[in-house]
Amino acid sequence: MKNRKDKIAEAKRVSGADSCVECGRCVAACPMAEMYANFSIEMSPRGIIKKTLVGDPVVEDKHIWYCTECNAGTDTCPQKVSCRDLIKKLREAAVDENLLENAKTCKCCGRVFVAIPVEEFVFAKLKDEPANVFGVLDICPPCRREIYLLRNA
Amino acid sequence: MTEQDFSLNLEDLRPRPAEKKHLSEYFMPPRHSFIIFHPDKCTGCGACEMICSTRNTGKVAPVSASVKVIRDEKEGKNFSILCQHCRKPLCLPACPTRAIEKGDDGIVRIDKLFCTQCGICAMACPAAAPIKDPCSQEIHKCDLCEGDPLCVKHCPENALTFTRGKALRWIKGLRWTSQFISFLLLVVVFIGTFCYFRTGSISFACPTGTLQNIASSGTIVLVGVSSTLALLILTVLAGRLFCGWVCPFGFVLDLVDKVTPKKIGWPSFLKSRMTKYGVLTGAVGGSYALGFQVFCTVCPIGTLCRSYGVQSFFKSAELAIVPALASLEIAQRRSWCRYFCPVGAVLGLTALLRMIKIIIGAKKCKKFSCIQCAEVCPVGIIDADKLREGLSPKIPMTECIMCMRCIDRCPYDAAKIRFRWQKAAPGEGRT
Repeated sequence: MKNRKDKIAEAKRVSGADSCVECGRCVAACPMAEMYANFSIEMSPRGIIKKTLVGDPVVEDKHIWYCTECNAGTDTCPQKVSCRDLIKKLREAAVDENLLENAKTCKCCGRVFVAIPVEEFVFAKLKDEPANVFGVLDICPPCRREIYLLRNA
Repeated sequence: MTEQDFSLNLEDLRPRPAEKKHLSEYFMPPRHSFIIFHPDKCTGCGACEMICSTRNTGKVAPVSASVKVIRDEKEGKNFSILCQHCRKPLCLPACPTRAIEKGDDGIVRIDKLFCTQCGICAMACPAAAPIKDPCSQEIHKCDLCEGDPLCVKHCPENALTFTRGKALRWIKGLRWTSQFISFLLLVVVFIGTFCYFRTGSISFACPTGTLQNIASSGTIVLVGVSSTLALLILTVLAGRLFCGWVCPFGFVLDLVDKVTPKKIGWPSFLKSRMTKYGVLTGAVGGSYALGFQVFCTVCPIGTLCRSYGVQSFFKSAELAIVPALASLEIAQRRSWCRYFCPVGAVLGLTALLRMIKIIIGAKKCKKFSCIQCAEVCPVGIIDADKLREGLSPKIPMTECIMCMRCIDRCPYDAAKIRFRWQKAAPGEGRT
């Protein structure tokens, strides 16, 4: 059983966060600025990388749950730092420690599949759709496919 | 100046084109292409995944395909999940970078330039059809190979078929012709024949009028009762076929509906389909009390047949009734037929003895992607929520006017006419 320090060290190693030069390209490319009205430096990829590097308590931080795990920051980084992999690893550490306030679990299989802020964004975008769409969105995509199979085949 | 005045968002930078409906689309709806999957033919071999991945990445790697074959070993069922190119895609509003667009040809595409591979489209799609490639983290979604899908060509069992929907909507043509001819006959040529007419031993009468006649006069004339039988037998055999295919006022309503596409909706307290049975009871009771046929004096079908003929045109105050009731059409399609028509009420009661039913098989229906049947139904009896949940909706045949628009429109052949005693819906049981 690894402790939190090892997990954060592994997250840094996998994502290459140590080589971050704080240029801010990832912040410019990050779609979260478009998604959330309260986008701030704490929420941005650069803020999270910085917090991880200086050793702030980042695992319990709710800001790691706003990310959509997209490729935009990773693609644009001149140092090939993967903010996506970093946030994935930090989320894994948070799930291991049972910090699940901002994680949504699938109704079928119980897997954590999306963060609550991301899901709220999707719900806000789909608010004009019929109400029973939202029952489907509580289920993770692989389970949705399974259910589709059982109903239709 | 506040901070708000400077903020630009994607709505300003990449505005969506406004939805324009060309005039021809009202008469000939555009035929969009899509792939139909037949689960009974699929063996789960995965050839579609392989050929699709060669187009996506250049390598044979089934995980990076935009089609996913799901196999259930226990039940022996296979299913391939692929994008259905919904009419109203859920992925399109959900995308945070507006990378998804639905083209004029109906194909939903992901613009690779703007896509950040976040996977929110897969989260919003009810069938989870956009698939995130675990190797390259890219999102792959079917774009129908721009009109020439490889998976259809390479499926060894022909379980995938590429189609553009039905070419000819022949039921539509037949119905409009039937409605036009009956309008011509009942309103212009034989004036007043719908309410009552008699030649020799053949007679015909409106069942609602006959009921009121019996109530007002207090005597039952067997000839009068038997002359309503033609309409009632038609209803027992084929449902309320009269309402959708013959009724001249229904024809007027359908025409008015063509020019008022925007509906304002009814207040909910008026939305009771039982109202028409109340109107029928009131008409019969009123005839008994007053001694004449109360409803027949204001009946839109009767006034249309009586007053709009060549001889009596511009001679009667009854002319105002048909435009007044037809103007209800701005609230909902066929408002009069849905909620108030006592002729429809009599036919609805007769349709309790119906022999046929319309059934929509949820297994053949592609659920979220289409729901055209609920949209085109003029009396709004198809439960779209049930269809989205994947259940066959129960269609109340006492309300159905048998216009068969659902059967005509369904591109998946899920809506069918069945005998009342047949249990299996399309796509279920023996195929």
